[in-house]
Amino acid sequence: MMGEPPWVRRLVAALGAAVLVFLCLPIIIVVPMSFSSASSLEFPPPGLSLRWYEAFFGDPRWLEAAGTSLALAALASSLALVLGTIAAYGLVRGRFRGRPLVELNFMAPLILPQIITGVALYIFFARIGLLGSFAGLVIGHTVLAVPYTVLVMTVAIRAFDRDIERAAHSLGATWPVMAWRVLVPNLMPSAAAAWIFAFIISFDEVIVTIFLAGAHETIPKRMFNELVLQVNPTITAIATLLIGISVVTVLAVTTLARRAGLLAKIAD
Amino acid sequence: MSTIQLRLGPSGVGFVLPLGLVMLLAFNIPVVLMLAWGFTSPKGVLVPWIDMVERTVYLRVLVNTFRIALIATLTCALLGYPLAYWLCCLKGRARMIGLALVVLPFWVSILVRTYAWIVVLGNNGVVNRSLLGLGLVEEPLAILYNELGVIIGTTNVLLPFLVLPLFAAMVRIDRRLLMAAAGLGAGPWTVFRRVFLPLTLPALAAGAILVFILTLGFFITPAILGGGRVPMIANMIDMLINRLPRWELAAALSTVLLVATFVCYALYLRIGRAAQPS
Repeated sequence: MMGEPPWVRRLVAALGAAVLVFLCLPIIIVVPMSFSSASSLEFPPPGLSLRWYEAFFGDPRWLEAAGTSLALAALASSLALVLGTIAAYGLVRGRFRGRPLVELNFMAPLILPQIITGVALYIFFARIGLLGSFAGLVIGHTVLAVPYTVLVMTVAIRAFDRDIERAAHSLGATWPVMAWRVLVPNLMPSAAAAWIFAFIISFDEVIVTIFLAGAHETIPKRMFNELVLQVNPTITAIATLLIGISVVTVLAVTTLARRAGLLAKIAD
Repeated sequence: MSTIQLRLGPSGVGFVLPLGLVMLLAFNIPVVLMLAWGFTSPKGVLVPWIDMVERTVYLRVLVNTFRIALIATLTCALLGYPLAYWLCCLKGRARMIGLALVVLPFWVSILVRTYAWIVVLGNNGVVNRSLLGLGLVEEPLAILYNELGVIIGTTNVLLPFLVLPLFAAMVRIDRRLLMAAAGLGAGPWTVFRRVFLPLTLPALAAGAILVFILTLGFFITPAILGGGRVPMIANMIDMLINRLPRWELAAALSTVLLVATFVCYALYLRIGRAAQPS
């Protein structure tokens, strides 16, 4: 960039590439491991097989955990999206005192270490009898997903021209009609991206889940408990499935975000 | 003005109310109650706090956590700076792919990323078998289930948080400044040291504080890669809640973690504001 000699440029490239490999090493390792025929943690795998995928799909407890994870993530991210979108509209269009403070409050679960949220909800839910209930889990995950939906929807609404809303009003649309016919269709791509964000956050959540879940099992909770006790290669198969889902989701979000022009807006 | 807007108030505060109420009930009140719990021990208001200071184990865990956070932050800065700089030098498609690879781990469960390090660093792992195979060591190096393993895993998980803002800051630098410095006779090293580096320092500091905050509250990576031998604050809190039942002590430790986080976050906001030219 500043006219470095070629050897410096090569050194920087080598260092940068090495760090990038370090960053991606877990993904590079786990995917081939999941097709290993050995039950030891040998890399590269001595032979190939699908036994760890069979172990996952053949175990009703893992499948039940997957069902719980999916239902929990779907409920929590939908709640966080609806509440977060309405609140984001108020934050962007509203003129009331203490707005920055309210916004900071909605961001707080992201800033606070999750262990604190976990302990606080644990003690609170134990008192009001929600500990170990599915409803308690949904509430906890919703709180954790709220910062993401508020953040994405605030950016989206801020970028939406208010004159279009005013035009709808001047043409006689009441607020609900305007919201349904103008706001919702225009904000849909951003809302989809926000929902996916929130879904992933909930689906991967470990710490708050460990505190609140009681007898409920989610995929990350089972993975964590197995990892602390012993090394079980079934986890590599789940990991690979999760990485596959992540890659597909990232592509979906980037497409949605590009359609919404979200990336350019965030960059501004 | 339409009816709904009148009903919700012209200020728009009504839109914020539903989420505000949910957050109040499911977040603010629980956190405040937890903080209060640290002062409501039946044995005496300050008993958990005296315990925390007198029993050296808690102080040791606190000091240990801050030390590991500091080392992980420095490692992230040392590894992240060349990566961000290299990405900044790349152009077009190569840069997009590089950035995508930095962002990709964000989307992969932290459990998965931590698990992979068991495969890499274990006694029978890739690193040790290579070293043994090359005859560089006589017996497997102990890299896993100790502090080194925790630091490697933490650095790996948190590196993108430092690289992305740093890259954004580097891209924003006006290249004409560098050219002007070179035109005035400065060599490449001087341009870097006197112009480029100072311009990236606020972003580097902000990213480093973010990594520091996140390491302070880290739970999963120390639990798995530390093998129970590297207790950090979060793991201690978990033990005090789930094994020992000493909630008031857990609440007191959580308060310490919360205050440390907020102090660092205030610092982060201040530096972040300085990093934005507008």
